[in-house]
Amino acid sequence: MRDQPLLIRIGMSLYLLMFFTYLLGPLVLMGITAFNSASFPQITPWEVFSFEWFSKLFADDRILEGLENSLYVGFFTVILSVSMGLAGALVLTQIWPKLRATYYTLIIAPILVPGVVIGISTLVFWAEINRRLGLSPDSFLANGIFLTVLGQSTFIASYCMLVFVARLQRYDTGLTEAALDLGASHIQAFRKIQLPFLYPAMASSAVLAFLASFENYNTSIFTHQKYATLTIILSQKVRLGIDPSISALAFIIVCLTIFFALLNEVRTRRAQLAVANGAPVGVVTGGFKAPGFFAGNPAAVILALFVAGIVATIAISQVYDPEPAKSVLLKEKRAAQQLRIQALQQRMKERRMQKEMKGPDIFGGKTAGEKAKSGGAVNPGKGAFGSIWKSDSLKSVIPTDEKKDKNGLKSKSPGVNTFGNVFAPTNLEDAAGSRKKDAPKE
Amino acid sequence: MNGFMKDYFRKNGALMGWTLIILVGFWTVMLIILPQLYMFDLSFHPHLPPPEMGGPKDHYTLENYDYLVFGAPGNEDGYNKVDLLVFGRTLIAAAFVTIIDLMLCYPIAYFLGQTKGGGFVRILVLLLIIPYWINEILRAFAFRIIFGDSGVINEFLMLFAIIDSPIDFIRANVALYAGLGYAYILLMIFPMYNVIESLDRNQIEAARDMGASWVTIHRRIVIPYAKPGIASGCTMVFMLSAGALAAPQILGGPSSLWFTQLVYQWFNTGGNWPQASAYAIVLLVACLIIVLTVMRLFKVNMGDIGK
Repeated sequence: MRDQPLLIRIGMSLYLLMFFTYLLGPLVLMGITAFNSASFPQITPWEVFSFEWFSKLFADDRILEGLENSLYVGFFTVILSVSMGLAGALVLTQIWPKLRATYYTLIIAPILVPGVVIGISTLVFWAEINRRLGLSPDSFLANGIFLTVLGQSTFIASYCMLVFVARLQRYDTGLTEAALDLGASHIQAFRKIQLPFLYPAMASSAVLAFLASFENYNTSIFTHQKYATLTIILSQKVRLGIDPSISALAFIIVCLTIFFALLNEVRTRRAQLAVANGAPVGVVTGGFKAPGFFAGNPAAVILALFVAGIVATIAISQVYDPEPAKSVLLKEKRAAQQLRIQALQQRMKERRMQKEMKGPDIFGGKTAGEKAKSGGAVNPGKGAFGSIWKSDSLKSVIPTDEKKDKNGLKSKSPGVNTFGNVFAPTNLEDAAGSRKKDAPKE
Repeated sequence: MNGFMKDYFRKNGALMGWTLIILVGFWTVMLIILPQLYMFDLSFHPHLPPPEMGGPKDHYTLENYDYLVFGAPGNEDGYNKVDLLVFGRTLIAAAFVTIIDLMLCYPIAYFLGQTKGGGFVRILVLLLIIPYWINEILRAFAFRIIFGDSGVINEFLMLFAIIDSPIDFIRANVALYAGLGYAYILLMIFPMYNVIESLDRNQIEAARDMGASWVTIHRRIVIPYAKPGIASGCTMVFMLSAGALAAPQILGGPSSLWFTQLVYQWFNTGGNWPQASAYAIVLLVACLIIVLTVMRLFKVNMGDIGK
């Protein structure tokens, strides 16, 4: 790149930046939402920094159950697909040359077949076998874990096979021949010579198989029956309604991924350094020497920082209590709400004042009206008329009668006041309104 | 053939030989060939309750495929427009996602393949792999957070008063395309990266010395050389996007279905396995035809896939 025009180099750097923002940005944002106390995964508005979604996550039985099923499925899938992949690769190296291309196409095809198709075909095929054998619908052939393992292994074995083929290309078959010539049995030759050579490939294909099984959705959704894996539980949760405890899970998974990726990087670098320095690998991989561990190994430094960060976060989560900050926020929210309510009341008062200017109420009709209103809110059924029979409203009515003659001339419509605004149209509306509001609850 | 088998057992011994045969036989016959064949067979049967299967009502029929093309019997439209539209849109959208991914990834693959940066490139490759190990559902979930009504993008745009009301990215399928492209980006980069890495830098130097422009170098040297990688990546991304189920379920707009969602509906909601099988077969065959045609056009072999 160094000998390219400046413009292209700047463009490329910008492009790299944008590309990795697209790649990592969503994960970072999702991780951040796990720490926001708001009940919807969001960054703005930010409420309070909190760990509550992590506790909610660990208290979620369905997620834990899904995790358990995923681990079972993953375990059996790893065993089945690694052994089938290994056998497939070994057969590929020995198969009749005319058949090789067809055979290779056949065992590579599951990678290209959509997961949905594999899921359906596995389920219908084994259901048919179950039916033909006359077994009950809940026999082990129709068991969700069994079917999911078979469905996933169909294509995961192909991944494993590719890993083994890559490794076997570098295997010298003369070694096996030599062992056989020296009197080893076939099993011995395989176990002592070829298998150790394949150990690294077995490890990486097992990891690959487990991860592929763990995150599989398209196949498992058809085959899982009652045994929903973690991925399926997650998809149900995401579709029904999202909350930040899923972000919390994502955060944990991202951290684990980074940790293992860095760990692997450190090991690879160390082996490379050892070879570069001419030392036998065993010496370097054997003992743990701190200075040597970090020397010339940026990945190791990052790994150490990363682990320190995680430990610090966990420590903070034990000590940190979001409640004070939360209660402050709650208070703020309440204060804001209070202000809004006051403003609303103010406006209502003003409106009522305006109304009263038209028909001034001197005889305490207002109080009766308010009583009616509050009575209405508590007891929607009685609202409109209930308060007439209250002693208070009677009291307010009685003096009206006495003072009627005195003040009758002043008030434009004394009749309304006599009954304490009970029959004022707003009152009826209030009562009806509150009844409507309460109706669905009852 | 007999001699070959004898040779095989002489090489592996009886126990090893039989173990290999049983394992490979189980995989190829019981897991790959028979389930697909049985599903193919089932797609030509009517939908019957289990006791009547194999009974007198069980006969070969084309009604499941009929339904996809012409709709339910007595349909006035003549064609099953809804399902056919979904089918066409899925394939076109998958092709669109593939092309977007190809354009996004080619510069990165070239940069990674041709830079002798050592540590820097290793870190970049590590950063590429990390998103791939995150669950598909969680990746889609991340895009829900970003593109939702109160998502990061909408909040950001509203903060700077670029828009007044949130844009519905979900309904416009922007979230779906971004999520699908994101999900399979790595499967596009790595095949290309592996091929371009093995390209001799001297070829590029020589072309530049002889005055080839930047565009010509890519058009005449890098792209022809990287063709197997490009074909492999495109095949993977196309097949996986067309067969994706999680991302459309989580990120898809309410009015636009993905074809796999129809399959899922027939299977789970409708409980109609033969119909679901027929739809799955149609999806599989259509994808294979498209991929094989494109591979033939670009003269790429099946053996190059999966490297």
